[in-house]
Amino acid sequence: MSILTYIAGWPLLAALLLAVVPRNYRVILRAIAVLATLIPAVLAVKMFAQFVPGANGYQFEQQIPWVESLGISYHVGVDGLNVGLILMGAIVAFAAALCSWEIQTREKEFYILLLVMTGGILGAFASLDLFFFYFLHELALVPTFIMIGVWGRGEKKNYATFQITLYLSIGALIALIGLIALYLQSGANTFDIPKIIEHAKANPLAASAQNFIFPLLLFGFGILVSLWPFHSWAPLGYGVAPSPTAMLHAGVLKKFGLYGLIRIALPLLPQAAQSWAQVIAWLCVGNILYVGWVAMRQRDLNLLVGNSSVAHMGFIFLGIASLNIIGVTGAVLIMIAHGFLAALTFALSGYIYQQTGTLQISELGGLCRKLPFIGTALLMAAMAGCGLPGFANFAGEATVFFGAWVKFPAITIIALWGALVIGGVYMTRAIRNVLHGPLPEKWNSLADAANAWRKLPYALLLASLLIFGFAPKLLTDKINPDAEKILNQAAPIKLVAHTATSGARN
Amino acid sequence: MKYEYLPWLILFLPLLSVAVITLFTLRSKTVSSLISIGAVATGFVMTLLFINANGFQFSGELPCNWLSIGEAPGGLQIDFGLKLDALSMMMLLVVTGVGGAIHIYSFGYMHEDRSRARFFAFMSLFTFSMLGIVLANNFLMMFIFWELVGVSSYLLIGFWFEKPSAGDAAKKAFITNRLGDFGFLAGILMVWGLLGSLNFGVLQTSLAANTVTLGASATLAGLLVFCGAMGKSAQFPLHVWLPDAMEGPTPVSALIHAATMVAAGVYMLCRIFFLLNADALHAIAYIGGFTALLAALMAVQQNDIKRIIAYSTLSQLGYMVMTVGLNGPTPAMFHLTTHAFFKALLFLGAGSVIIGMHHEQDIWQMGNLRKKMPVTFLTFTIGTLALCGVPPFSGFYSKDAILAQALKQNNHLLFGVGVFVAALTTFYTFRLFFVVFFGKEKSKAAAHAHESPLVMTLPLIALAAFAFAGGFIGIMNNYGSQFVAGHEQLSMAQQASEPFKNIFPMVCGLGAVAVGLLLAFSLYKNADTDPLPAKLGGLATAMKNKFYFDELYEATFIRAHDFIAEVADWMDRWILEGAIIGTIRGGTDLGGRALRLAQTGNLQTYAFLFVLGVALVLYFVLGK
Repeated sequence: MSILTYIAGWPLLAALLLAVVPRNYRVILRAIAVLATLIPAVLAVKMFAQFVPGANGYQFEQQIPWVESLGISYHVGVDGLNVGLILMGAIVAFAAALCSWEIQTREKEFYILLLVMTGGILGAFASLDLFFFYFLHELALVPTFIMIGVWGRGEKKNYATFQITLYLSIGALIALIGLIALYLQSGANTFDIPKIIEHAKANPLAASAQNFIFPLLLFGFGILVSLWPFHSWAPLGYGVAPSPTAMLHAGVLKKFGLYGLIRIALPLLPQAAQSWAQVIAWLCVGNILYVGWVAMRQRDLNLLVGNSSVAHMGFIFLGIASLNIIGVTGAVLIMIAHGFLAALTFALSGYIYQQTGTLQISELGGLCRKLPFIGTALLMAAMAGCGLPGFANFAGEATVFFGAWVKFPAITIIALWGALVIGGVYMTRAIRNVLHGPLPEKWNSLADAANAWRKLPYALLLASLLIFGFAPKLLTDKINPDAEKILNQAAPIKLVAHTATSGARN
Repeated sequence: MKYEYLPWLILFLPLLSVAVITLFTLRSKTVSSLISIGAVATGFVMTLLFINANGFQFSGELPCNWLSIGEAPGGLQIDFGLKLDALSMMMLLVVTGVGGAIHIYSFGYMHEDRSRARFFAFMSLFTFSMLGIVLANNFLMMFIFWELVGVSSYLLIGFWFEKPSAGDAAKKAFITNRLGDFGFLAGILMVWGLLGSLNFGVLQTSLAANTVTLGASATLAGLLVFCGAMGKSAQFPLHVWLPDAMEGPTPVSALIHAATMVAAGVYMLCRIFFLLNADALHAIAYIGGFTALLAALMAVQQNDIKRIIAYSTLSQLGYMVMTVGLNGPTPAMFHLTTHAFFKALLFLGAGSVIIGMHHEQDIWQMGNLRKKMPVTFLTFTIGTLALCGVPPFSGFYSKDAILAQALKQNNHLLFGVGVFVAALTTFYTFRLFFVVFFGKEKSKAAAHAHESPLVMTLPLIALAAFAFAGGFIGIMNNYGSQFVAGHEQLSMAQQASEPFKNIFPMVCGLGAVAVGLLLAFSLYKNADTDPLPAKLGGLATAMKNKFYFDELYEATFIRAHDFIAEVADWMDRWILEGAIIGTIRGGTDLGGRALRLAQTGNLQTYAFLFVLGVALVLYFVLGK
């Protein structure tokens, strides 16, 4: 059996096991959940280390036929595009399980849902079969709604649950229509992604079919990723979500839509991708600039972080829209970096909420004195969030800028403004008002993360950001060859940097 | 090249120090400070060893790939490589040498502080970042370290983060620098787009073959890159952050906001000098000249000892940038180096005074300190004379080289500005000097001031030695060999007499010093209050309030950006969310109502629909 089956399977099995553990065995419940996420994390590190960059085809592959008449099979495997995502997802899931100590009620159900979410999304990333790809994502998505609805916090909980459920279900539905249309139009009569791509190489989809399916996938997946203007579910949803849910959703689940675009839409609908690239590029200005401005006005730390996370999605879309190997590699790099970062920030804001009972920025201040560890970690997260070199996000963003500059110089300039100036403004404002300044007297009793066990999730996520920030080569060397394969379908004409001066300006 | 591993060690030792301090020794203040001091001091020794083995007249690169995507033309290759030549060697000496002195001084200055370990971790982070800028062999690596010095400066300005003013100043410095970096990165992208490489050496070669074709885009690229220098070196209109940055501890002001980081902009311009065409240089020269003048005027009416020196730094940076623009990277780097000596000296001297005065910074509370603090007084005097450009102190030589360069370029306007600023510099520096060290004690604290401990005065003495002799110990020779082909190596005596080869700028410079000194002497010798506001009226108020730039920016850019943000937030809340959610909700609602019509509860209707369905299915299955 493939290591991938174990990575996705352990959490799902453990979820079943939890169902039979009595609910008052709290330590055991928690231990099982932590262990069932630790094992996949260790396996994912092993898989990442054994992965051979640029090898032909998929690695750690496994295929079991299921419904042969429709061409559905259980098919998992990794190449450069998803190997890093699975690693990131497994580490974030482990961190989320560790952070779940903040959940005090109905722990059993919470851990079951968390494990289902973990197994589902890791399985979705590993799937090379359209059916499982979609089904496993839905399996991970539904627990999100329940978790926000039951364990969410604040007055707006019900409205936020309602909104996020509505939005994401509709997004998933539109994407589903697109995928079914793709299945029917491709004529390959299989759900197997490699086979469909192979088939499409010989018989490309008609331009009209491409132009019909692409927007379905773009907006369906786009809604799942909070593409502007379909983003308003995200900050609010994350604002009320319990932090482990926010960590997993913002960090890992959200990347599904982007991954789907790169894995499915780019190679199968290359012509449509070319003609829609301009639209995507302009929409991502909405994410980067407009949502950046919105983030500047937020008075709640979680809403600020949520909006900033939406803004970061813009850089990924910009990388995809550039449709060259530099941009797409950068996009995948940011997907991974942002996964770690979003998980880290939501974990930290969750800690502060746990201690203070509020995330209103005006209520906080001077927390660095009482919470040196959490404060330093939050400071580093804020810096990573505004693109400081040394963190993986910078490597990704810089790469995307280089890739996008070739195709959209004007939009790249706007994106630079969003990354360097707007990001810098709201992040330093948040630091100034949350961590710096005098400490209000009521916070004198706050306690920092007490021991190594409590510090572990934050330290783990920070270390991941720093490792890939110092050595992005670890990721780019893996992503690069497969991004090129995807694009050889999407953009037969290889774009050269020097064309920036001659004609490619927009 | 011998000892190739040394530059890597020099660069990474401070980073190691950061890691060790943050991970292990945060609890022990003394161990942490010793680790940090050890890292930079070892770096200094290694730099000396490396130079001793290789000399200055060589040029080499130690490349190492950081990130590579795609094939050479059109692909992205980013190296993490070190560029080793006279320019980077000299800067290595300045950063580790002056930096080392300041690290040692900090051991005394920060002795009482409870967060000393954190302070030294930040100092090491800064040293690492600054060394990275100095050694970078390509644009993106320089940008990486550029951002890192920005963040270490942010952390150190906000070191006493509980003080609201410190937090605000740190934020302001970060954002202002980010504005410059925005232009810098855009410039880098543009250069890469035009020439397909990021490596300085490759760019220089391909540009030499390409000058004509680039034309206007070369000017634009040059000016965009200059934006980075504008932010870091605090040039008009991004100069506003530097005076506020004095909220940081005084050694920080000496290291970052006088000797090294703020000079990074000038260094970068010299590093990429080949990229700047005549038009870009022209703009750079005037911005530099204007900054020099503006800051000198502001300095005249400040009363905080550190702020006076900060404005003086701004003004001197303006000089350097102007000189780069006047096609003179050699004199610019010369002045950068001597300025690092005497300005670090002045800041550390001011720090010594502040400690002696129990954290009083208002010069009108001081007075007659020369008797109480003799070592500080003596070294401060040397720094003052060097800054004003009195022969034979180092500032005299470097300033003279600048004035001579302006004249050589036939730019009489900027030459005039240079001379006038020299007079202003002497005036405000001696104003500070007389008020602080002469006259009578203006407060109780001044009467009870005490000299600082040896760990603080020794670095002062070391820096004073260089501030005195910096003009003729071969600094000009080394920079000259970098920028001028076949540069003549001068002996020490020749260097000492260099200004006399060109009498006119020297006489103008010395005349300016004399005028400034006389004015300062007549106004401030024995003065208890400032007589100038009464004489200058509104002008003095404007100078004191920094010509209202902060207020202007607050009222325009900041307000505008906040307003846009408010509008965006409002739209998000009421239009996007409302409209989209409303549509979906309404649509679902409508759908529900429509479907309800079918749910009549009437069995006959259901039976009818059922039969209709069966008929349809049969038609499709059989009928076709």
